[in-house]
Amino acid sequence: MNADRLIKFELARLNAHLPERRISLKEALSLTKPQVPTRDGSVHSFKRKELEILAKLLPEADWEKLQLPIFIALEPKLGRGAAKVSGEVEAKVAAKLLGKEAARELLIYRPEVALLRRNLPTTTQYLFVW
Amino acid sequence: MATALAVSPTRMELMKLKKQLNLAQRGHDLLKEKMDALVMEFFEIFRKIQESRTKALEQLSTAYRALTNCFALMGTLETVQAARETRRELQIEISSRYLMGISIPAVEFGEIQRNALTRGYGLHMTSSVLDEAAREFERALGLLVELAETEAVAFAIARELEKTKRRVNALEYILIPRLKGALKFIMMRLDEMERENFTRLKRIKAIIEEHR
Repeated sequence: MNADRLIKFELARLNAHLPERRISLKEALSLTKPQVPTRDGSVHSFKRKELEILAKLLPEADWEKLQLPIFIALEPKLGRGAAKVSGEVEAKVAAKLLGKEAARELLIYRPEVALLRRNLPTTTQYLFVW
Repeated sequence: MATALAVSPTRMELMKLKKQLNLAQRGHDLLKEKMDALVMEFFEIFRKIQESRTKALEQLSTAYRALTNCFALMGTLETVQAARETRRELQIEISSRYLMGISIPAVEFGEIQRNALTRGYGLHMTSSVLDEAAREFERALGLLVELAETEAVAFAIARELEKTKRRVNALEYILIPRLKGALKFIMMRLDEMERENFTRLKRIKAIIEEHR
């Protein structure tokens, strides 16, 4: 059935914008043009202004631990509109921005996702999990 | 519905359809998540467009006011003459960045504002009001380029949103109900076949007992 192939293609395309590898905040700050190659062969650039916001939010010791872009994972099993930020430092920085309590994994909801994306449009990316 | 899918009522087909239904439902859930994310991005861009448009319109209004002043103080002919002497090539780099698989334009441009010496008109025949008008129009140009970029992003997101919505609807209202219908048909047919077999066996057993 063609519909199967179409669905599989759509599912594969959902995460095509993700980077091949993530870079640390420290590395991004040291680059003149902070960017990462993506799976679809394009390049995802980070705005320096956002990197500076992140650098201000975290102590220097954590710069090496924060991997960019920060993934906002959308998982149907979490329920519609809910998302997850994984990773200790990533969750910490998102919690600080949203004024929430830090946890190893941060569960956020649609208005918070919107706020996070508004403040960090290039240093965050959607990740679709199934 | 089952005829539309041309299914044969076998257990193999039942298993295959269950797999397909599972995949379709997973695809539907994920595409719906994508649609929600796109709607969120669209509203954010829409907010940015409103801000940029207000700024650009305010700046254009300031620029035209400055130009009117210039016409009044320097004279229309002189202003038009000075404008003809001015030469400008604006270097704009248009690349693309990706947002959830959508290619959206990213516009980068260098410094738009110039000083009076680099604009090209002669300074001895012009007034400072012309410099002011030119400065205001240069500022407006920067804002208009930004607005154009934001609007192009909004169009790209809107197009993708439309496509995603169509796919979600196709899955929700056509494919999934069809698969469910086919599954129901096969299950009912298999149940019916089981009942037929059972009755047949009972009948055979009764005939055998009659013959004893």
